[in-house]
Amino acid sequence: MLKADNIVTYRQFLAAAGLTWCLFGILIGRFFQIQILEYDWYSQKANSNRIRKVTTTAPRGLILDRNGQILVDNFPTYVLTAIPWELSDKGEKFEFISTVIGLDSNTVSKSYKKYYRGRFNPTRLAKDLTFDQVSRLEESRINLQGVYYENFPERYFPSRIRGSHIFGIVKEVDRDVRNSLRNKEEYELGDMIGWSGIEKRYENYLKGERGIIFYEVDAFGRELGYVKDLEPTDPEPGMNIITTLDLDIQYFIEGIMKNRKGVILVGLGDSGEILGAVSAPDFDPELFTGLILETTWNEIRNNPEKPLLNRFLQGMYPPGSIVKSVTQAALLEKADFDPNTFFHCDGSYQFGDRLFGCWWQEGHGELDLTGAMVNSCDIYFYKAVQYLELDQLAEMFIEFGFGEATQIDIPGEVYGLVPDKDYMNKKHGRYNWSKGALLNICIGQGEVLVTPIQVLNYLNLLATRGNAYRPHLVMVDELPVNEIPTLKDETWDRIISDMRLIITDENGTGKNAEPDIPGMLVYGKTGTAENAHGESHAWFIGWAEYADQKYSVVILLENAGSGGKVAAPIAKMIFNEIYKSDKLVYK
Amino acid sequence: MILPRSTEFRELPIHILWSALFLTSVGLVVLKSISQHSSGAFFQNPFSKQLLFLIPAVILCIVIYHTPRSFIHKYSYALYLLGIILVILPFFGAPQAGTHRWLYVGLPFTLQPSEFVKICTITALARYLSDHNLQMKKFTSVIIPIILVLFPTIIILQQPDLGTAIIMIAPILPMLYWAGASFFHLFLLLAPIFSMLTAFHTLAFTTWAVLLALIIFISRPKFMMGLILFFGNIFLGLFSPVLWNGLKPYQQNRILTLVNPGDDPLGAAYQIIQSKTAIGSGGLVGKGWGAGTQTQLKFLPVQESDFILSVMGEELGFIAIAVVLFVFGYFSVQILKFSYLSKDRFSSLVMIGCATVFISHVFVNTAMTVGLIPVKGLPFPFISAGGSFLITSYIMLGLVLKLSINYSD
Repeated sequence: MLKADNIVTYRQFLAAAGLTWCLFGILIGRFFQIQILEYDWYSQKANSNRIRKVTTTAPRGLILDRNGQILVDNFPTYVLTAIPWELSDKGEKFEFISTVIGLDSNTVSKSYKKYYRGRFNPTRLAKDLTFDQVSRLEESRINLQGVYYENFPERYFPSRIRGSHIFGIVKEVDRDVRNSLRNKEEYELGDMIGWSGIEKRYENYLKGERGIIFYEVDAFGRELGYVKDLEPTDPEPGMNIITTLDLDIQYFIEGIMKNRKGVILVGLGDSGEILGAVSAPDFDPELFTGLILETTWNEIRNNPEKPLLNRFLQGMYPPGSIVKSVTQAALLEKADFDPNTFFHCDGSYQFGDRLFGCWWQEGHGELDLTGAMVNSCDIYFYKAVQYLELDQLAEMFIEFGFGEATQIDIPGEVYGLVPDKDYMNKKHGRYNWSKGALLNICIGQGEVLVTPIQVLNYLNLLATRGNAYRPHLVMVDELPVNEIPTLKDETWDRIISDMRLIITDENGTGKNAEPDIPGMLVYGKTGTAENAHGESHAWFIGWAEYADQKYSVVILLENAGSGGKVAAPIAKMIFNEIYKSDKLVYK
Repeated sequence: MILPRSTEFRELPIHILWSALFLTSVGLVVLKSISQHSSGAFFQNPFSKQLLFLIPAVILCIVIYHTPRSFIHKYSYALYLLGIILVILPFFGAPQAGTHRWLYVGLPFTLQPSEFVKICTITALARYLSDHNLQMKKFTSVIIPIILVLFPTIIILQQPDLGTAIIMIAPILPMLYWAGASFFHLFLLLAPIFSMLTAFHTLAFTTWAVLLALIIFISRPKFMMGLILFFGNIFLGLFSPVLWNGLKPYQQNRILTLVNPGDDPLGAAYQIIQSKTAIGSGGLVGKGWGAGTQTQLKFLPVQESDFILSVMGEELGFIAIAVVLFVFGYFSVQILKFSYLSKDRFSSLVMIGCATVFISHVFVNTAMTVGLIPVKGLPFPFISAGGSFLITSYIMLGLVLKLSINYSD
């Protein structure tokens, strides 16, 4: 046994040893390549493996009134979540949670199914929990392993007012919303985004910045704690927005418009700041803070009174006689018209083959231009407007800001309509309309359509002889400059003194607006706009001068009848309220 | 270590022993890092499990060291048969994880008999090649050794365990080379493998066919023999696509994953990617013991055995890896050296066989962790956790230590 000699040669040994070292050399070289040469790449890869970036919600900025009163606030609600893999006896726990927070247990499990994204991801069970509900759950913490809650700031409205059309609504960012955004990387699903009104226009200021927390996760995606070298950043709350609104005035005019349909705008004539704005009917803004029920939403959307329509921006109305001052200005500026010209009004006027009537069917008799303004006589204007071309009148409308955006600082504004020759040619054909159209337009009927916010701007321009700034809702450092109508001083004088007479004259259509407050001078114009939807819209526009301050008021009551009878008394109430509540000190 | 006689200690290939003990200690350090957060039972903890298995491993190593050389030689065929029986036994039990690799022995752990069969095959092969004063230049003398190896290999393939099967085949070429087989014959043994591998690529296959023809022409076998060899290989190559389709899908996947790791990110390729990420992110000096994120956060799979080198690469860095591989290279070449210095052929062949098993284990395991070859479930000798293989390694160590001393018996 074991007799056979070893016949291995030194050469064979060298070959085997050489091959062995070669293999080990290859392996060491490969490690050198991965660990030294490609270190950066793999290092980054290992980090992205283990680090999960989680962001925390930033509370939206508050919306305040001009005196610092909070109009839109955040309410700390809680979102209840569960980590599925930590959760045992789901049904039992959902049942328990439901009874504690007073919800249907179906709602909880439905939500669980809807938001489930994996065993280790927090899954939403319920939203809008109050601190009280959460603390009741906290008492039974021991039975609720795997159930967590997160703070979720939600919009709420602590003041007495609604302001639904001013503030607008916020919306939960879902997949569709997120895809429609240009800056979608700044939003996460479940975030709130301003969807209309100030919330939308000032979204970039209000939204704040999310906080970032870096969690270390294991291969199963479970969070194990913070990453040591990466500092978390706290969420940065959004900036507060100070509006030009006055809480008391807004509350007062919202009260007036309860059960009415239309618009009230109250503003400061010079600066264009809006003190109050109501579009009625409106909706309860609280409805949109949390999850809105399908039925409630449909109810609001299908309501024939259109509560979602922001009437002062998006309602296009025939202005009626409130724009007679525009015609007046056009006559004085564009045509060679003597304001002392007398015309006779007998209640109707034949033009071509059509008979045009005055609102006062018995006729006003002999009138000059001032008399025609005070009595709001239509016949006088039918006759006087013969001195004008349509385009001249249209130009004057545009100088007063009609037919274009007022650039108010909430989105959705419509332009209204100022018909000129081109428009009429396009609409009716070059030879199919006559100067008769001018007769309608000069008294604010026919094709011309305005928005109440344009009317407010127009009113402010009248009150300030063209020096008013554009109407706006948020306090700004640089007031938005208007395009100033270039009228002669005499024209301004005449327009303004006529508007004063409308209030003070015995026959003045606006005399119901006179508040009889010593030191307060009220100027105004009424309007009764015929329309296709039933009774006439009642208009009153006017301003009160008191100690160098001008308070402008625009009132529009849809289908309410005569402006002088219905709208003017409301203006009086508002002027009285301004006086009584010591709001005469604005500067 | 208790040694029989003080005189022998000087003769003992002490560098081999120290290298093995060093690698074992490194393995324990790494296993301790993996185990520090493990809260399972004693046997769930790879570190304590490894420590426990070290006891029988060291005892067996000493026993083997004290076994007379003639005894090993005498009973090598009997051991071979015993090994075959052991490897067949698991087929009588219920399959575990779809395989018949493990044998229940009534203990809280299982044994993997295929590990021990590696040794039995080496000793049996060594005995056959040394007993028969073979004319190794003749091709026919190669047939019986091949059958000796293929028999257990085919059984292991049925378990199925492709990795171990490859290790089983590995020693035959070096042992035949050691026993004096001609280069041409060894080439003919390897030729079918090349024929099969190149068959999937037209240019490669053409190049191979030309090379094959050239080598056959230079070696000048009998004309008919040359023709048979050439066309046999060509036909094998042509049939390989058919054979490929006969492979199990998981085997195909493992091979394909190497070609394109992006295809299967959560399967085998996922493991390779996580392993490379662990190693690469370790850099020169590593992230620190117990601080490897890939390891501790469990991104790295089978980290206590197949991917233990990735743990080391991540936590201890390139320097540690280079030292371990260098020590292992030194360990292997030392065995080769004593194999060359051995006086009798049997000892020399056993040692080259053991060296081949060690080297191929290291190569397959390491190349796998760095994405050079497909994922093969093979442990790293002395370092990876795994009782059966640890014991096998120590038995081989005992054999090497015993047989490298020329003056005993």
